[in-house]
Amino acid sequence: MPILAMLAVMLSVATILITWSVMGGFLKTLVNSGRSLIGDVTVSWPNVGFAHYDELIVMLEDDEMIDGATPIIETFGLIQLPDDRIELITIKGIDPVSYDRVTNYTDTIWWKPINEPTAKDRDGSDVRLDPQFTGAMAMFESNAVTLTRLNPDSGQTERAGVLGVEVTGLNIRTEDGIYDPRANGFRALPDGGIERVPGFMPAGGTVGLTVLSLDSTGKPVDPVTRTIPIANEFQSGIFEIDQSTIFVPLETMQEMLRLDEARKVELVENPFATEVDPVTGKRRPKMSEVVGIDPARVTTVLVRSADGTELNEVRDRVFEIYQEFEAKHQGGVPSSFSMENQIRTWEDLNATMINAVKKETGLVLFIFGIVSFTSVFLVLAIFWSMISEKTKDIGILRALGASTTGVAWLWIRYGTAIGLIGASLGTAAGYAVVININSIHDWLGRTFNLVIWDPRTYYFIEIPSEVEIDKAIIVFVVGVLTCVLGSLIPAFRSARMDPVKALRFE
Amino acid sequence: MLRVEHIRKTYHLGRVKVPVLHGVDLTVHHKEWITILGASGSGKSTLMHIMGGLDRPDKHPESPASIVYGDRVITDLGAGGLNNYRSTEVGFVFQFYHLLPELDILQNICIGSMIRHGRFGYGSQRKGVESRAKELLDRFGLSDRMKHRPAELSGGERQRVAIARALINEPALLLADEPTGNLDLKTGESILDVLAELRQSSGLTMVMVTHDERIASRADRVIRLIDGRVVEQTGVGSV
Repeated sequence: MPILAMLAVMLSVATILITWSVMGGFLKTLVNSGRSLIGDVTVSWPNVGFAHYDELIVMLEDDEMIDGATPIIETFGLIQLPDDRIELITIKGIDPVSYDRVTNYTDTIWWKPINEPTAKDRDGSDVRLDPQFTGAMAMFESNAVTLTRLNPDSGQTERAGVLGVEVTGLNIRTEDGIYDPRANGFRALPDGGIERVPGFMPAGGTVGLTVLSLDSTGKPVDPVTRTIPIANEFQSGIFEIDQSTIFVPLETMQEMLRLDEARKVELVENPFATEVDPVTGKRRPKMSEVVGIDPARVTTVLVRSADGTELNEVRDRVFEIYQEFEAKHQGGVPSSFSMENQIRTWEDLNATMINAVKKETGLVLFIFGIVSFTSVFLVLAIFWSMISEKTKDIGILRALGASTTGVAWLWIRYGTAIGLIGASLGTAAGYAVVININSIHDWLGRTFNLVIWDPRTYYFIEIPSEVEIDKAIIVFVVGVLTCVLGSLIPAFRSARMDPVKALRFE
Repeated sequence: MLRVEHIRKTYHLGRVKVPVLHGVDLTVHHKEWITILGASGSGKSTLMHIMGGLDRPDKHPESPASIVYGDRVITDLGAGGLNNYRSTEVGFVFQFYHLLPELDILQNICIGSMIRHGRFGYGSQRKGVESRAKELLDRFGLSDRMKHRPAELSGGERQRVAIARALINEPALLLADEPTGNLDLKTGESILDVLAELRQSSGLTMVMVTHDERIASRADRVIRLIDGRVVEQTGVGSV
């Protein structure tokens, strides 16, 4: 019976530790992936953007708490895919060099030469490993780094974009967690026929991008459409991002949204000169031009903090720097007052996603906690039964002079010992399962054809497998307490036993 | 040595009151062996439990019960005092031995000392206690059974182990409840020989409960209990 109690504690401890570790690892991986493309702190002024960003970036990069900063333009638009489907898309205009300093942009580029197969690609079928394609992959990678692509017809290098790997829906993800580039799409023709379209975008694929350009007040002026060659595709690890994001050169977006540097023209009547009105044919006072420069703008500056800095401190420092920046350009950039809520950490930006996964983790833990709490009652029932069985022994101990508290303490100590052993075994078992969870999963797949974590469904190739020591300690302590709690009531019952009745117990 | 006065005891079976002892008076002298003789249900085991501090007599305002051991009034003791009385002054021997089945013989004997001294106190006295336990086992011819479990022993052997356990704390008073009741005649005789020899060599005071007249005859004094009352005392030193 004590072995049963021990098993109950062991199983509940192992279950909770495995669940918490996997869900916690999932959250951590998800969050890190989300962070990989947004830096640590963002300074954002949506739609109309803000000017003099180059100066702000220099000021930010001069600070020791900041490793780098990069300008981006983020907006929504429509994308026309090779099969003519039109989807809503998040467009990010980036400067690839500085963007890579602030984010892990180049790490997310998918089509590039790799030396080792990815974790689940046991037969090495990933086309990126194939020496035959190493040169092409290197070219695709280079194109992504510069956001350009050579136009074979004109011989000119053109600005190009990098698509999220799931945007076209033409990259087929295999159960090995890799993409097969040999898929084709089909385009519906007006005559009822279909036309095959190549699915591998970096090799000559283009998309149409449509955005609404805005005037200086942020009001939409007219739609602007451009055909964007695709240089490569990226995988961030967050399906929502990879399904609905395209990177294009910053200049392209500035041009399309009219956020680029422009001459500022103001027309006034010159009383000393006349000109012919092209509409009426009559002379009128000549309209003179007062020329100024309207500086280029971006919607966001991303900031990467220096290692070891605290995120909120960095955000506060960025705000201070922005205040200095605003002082230099009073009236020419958004006020610090307005900007205070627009300077946010990556955690603030991803709060919805992070909280959703946290809540999910909490819910799963709660459910497993309830299930595991039944082990308290299991231990209680087992101890109750043991005490019934040992009634006579309790009478003997009392006859030999044992006190009521001594008898109760004996059972509590026994419960603690069972809890300690059960929780230790449970923690060890949970740890062993978590660190080997991928091997166990593979074995289940091979032996029983049971695939729980399918890379085609889940975005991470492998199940997160990290045990955090503080979580393990909490689960261990709760496991021991479970057993102690379960032994308390039976212990008090044993203490209250009448020794004479106990000795006569049959 | 032990003076018992006006002991009454009533058990409650649901709403039914079952009086067991009706004002028992008794004196046990130092180094005396007395036997309480009575039929089943006469209250002899209850009397023994009360004398040993395992149970308490009923409270009766007109003639309050009292048990005086030496100069200590046992009936006035609290739970802690009774625990101490049981572990230092009294040794119990039961009809069904009541050994702890998970422990070996040596541990069964030493557990009384463990309870008396506490876990930590026992640690410092362990060697001395074990040495005394081995002496007792040797004396009872069980030195080769030290590491055996109770289930591996015969009834007579188990009862000798139970006697050794009762003696481990060197009590002055041994209370035995039908110690031969579960044994055949020959083995029962051998157990009585052991007890007689003990009393002779250690100066132990013994109170034995039995329904067997033949066994009772070996005692110094026989107290006959019928329906919870002492009806007769016979033998040397009878009052």
